[in-house]
Amino acid sequence: MGVHAIEFQVVDKSFRKNKVLQGTTFQVETGRTFAFLGRNGAGKTTAIRMMLGLLNRDDGMIRVLGLDPQVDPIGVRSRVGYLAEDQTMYGWMRCEEILRFMAPFYATWDHDLALQYARDFEVPLQTKIKHLSKGQNVRLGLVLALAHRPELVILDDPALGLDPIMRKQFNRDLITHLQGEGRTVFYSSHLLYEVEPVADEVAILDQGRIVRQSETENLRNDVKQIVLSSDAAVAVDETTSVLQRRAEGSELAIVVEKAQDMIESLRNEGVEHRVVDLNLDEIFEAYVTGTNNAEPHKKAEMQRIAGEA
Amino acid sequence: MILRIEKGSAVPISSQIAQQISMLCASGRLQPGERMPSVRELARELAVNQNTVLRVYERLVRDQLLEMRQGQGTFVAANAASTGLAAHRDSLVEELRQLARQGLALGLESEQLHELMDQALEQLQSSASVEKEAS
Repeated sequence: MGVHAIEFQVVDKSFRKNKVLQGTTFQVETGRTFAFLGRNGAGKTTAIRMMLGLLNRDDGMIRVLGLDPQVDPIGVRSRVGYLAEDQTMYGWMRCEEILRFMAPFYATWDHDLALQYARDFEVPLQTKIKHLSKGQNVRLGLVLALAHRPELVILDDPALGLDPIMRKQFNRDLITHLQGEGRTVFYSSHLLYEVEPVADEVAILDQGRIVRQSETENLRNDVKQIVLSSDAAVAVDETTSVLQRRAEGSELAIVVEKAQDMIESLRNEGVEHRVVDLNLDEIFEAYVTGTNNAEPHKKAEMQRIAGEA
Repeated sequence: MILRIEKGSAVPISSQIAQQISMLCASGRLQPGERMPSVRELARELAVNQNTVLRVYERLVRDQLLEMRQGQGTFVAANAASTGLAAHRDSLVEELRQLARQGLALGLESEQLHELMDQALEQLQSSASVEKEAS
């Protein structure tokens, strides 16, 4: 197995005329917790289903644990733990029954471990699945995803529908049982601030493209809002990547990448400016609603306009 | 050790943890020689990535607030109180600078700013003495 647990190279996927993924490219390093972020409908679930060989790609290359999921879906699924977005399980089964039911599907299933996880996650083994709460349901799904000791765990929006206390508990379980054991975790969400405490790295998917991949810690340092007077906006370098731009009277507020470089050059040129730290939701918003949805040439144009304003 | 993490804040989580630990050292609530929770324990407690906690510990070791003893764990360093205090002085100066900037932007004069600062101090001192009398 290489250094990458998951690799997407220029992957395209359309459903009829609807282009869901367009040249999607990213890598997940082995042993890390990777958060995959995007708005509803950004293509997160489609990408995940492709990783498991549940959907075929139109173009590009996908490797999961070094395997092509399209060629060897069973090979991939035997080494990957997967928790679907709204995992439906047989409601009439008791939790204990579904554990026994799932066991024969996996050569590496460890039933003692399954029971242990069920205890740790407080899953009531004698209760019928249809009577479980949302939180218990997610944790039962996690038990099923982990009991075959997967090297890679793929969780599709696991925190969706959990209350804040359950989310924190879920994050704790993730940290103790997955990060603590050195596994790779790939975890999709639409809430950047929720994944921040646990993710080593985040990727933001928007309209089928990865618009940013970064270490969680670096993202905030790199993306900041800078407020300067419109007259001074000519000082904004052509090469600066402006994510979002708002003019307000004589002031111009821009959200930029590589903020430190820009701050330094503004300082060197003696341009008066104010730097505003952004929280992660604001950063996410800048990426998915800002000007960078535009094609690259439009982006340059936005900067020209910013320069002229 | 009680720490509080604010999710979604503009202050990175690692900085939040580091600041609070150095504050606890400066105020003496963490005593030199005291054993810190392990990276695993603190990560679980705060529901924060273990690597984040590890980076914070490493940074605080570099800043000489904590020390790692091979095979024993992480401990509060001997001079943690004064080191923590010095670090806090810097961030306090920075905050005061920002407050002063806000004041100037509101059109306050230097004299008026000093006056407000004095008033604030007085209020704190009088409420502290009321508490003392009450107890």
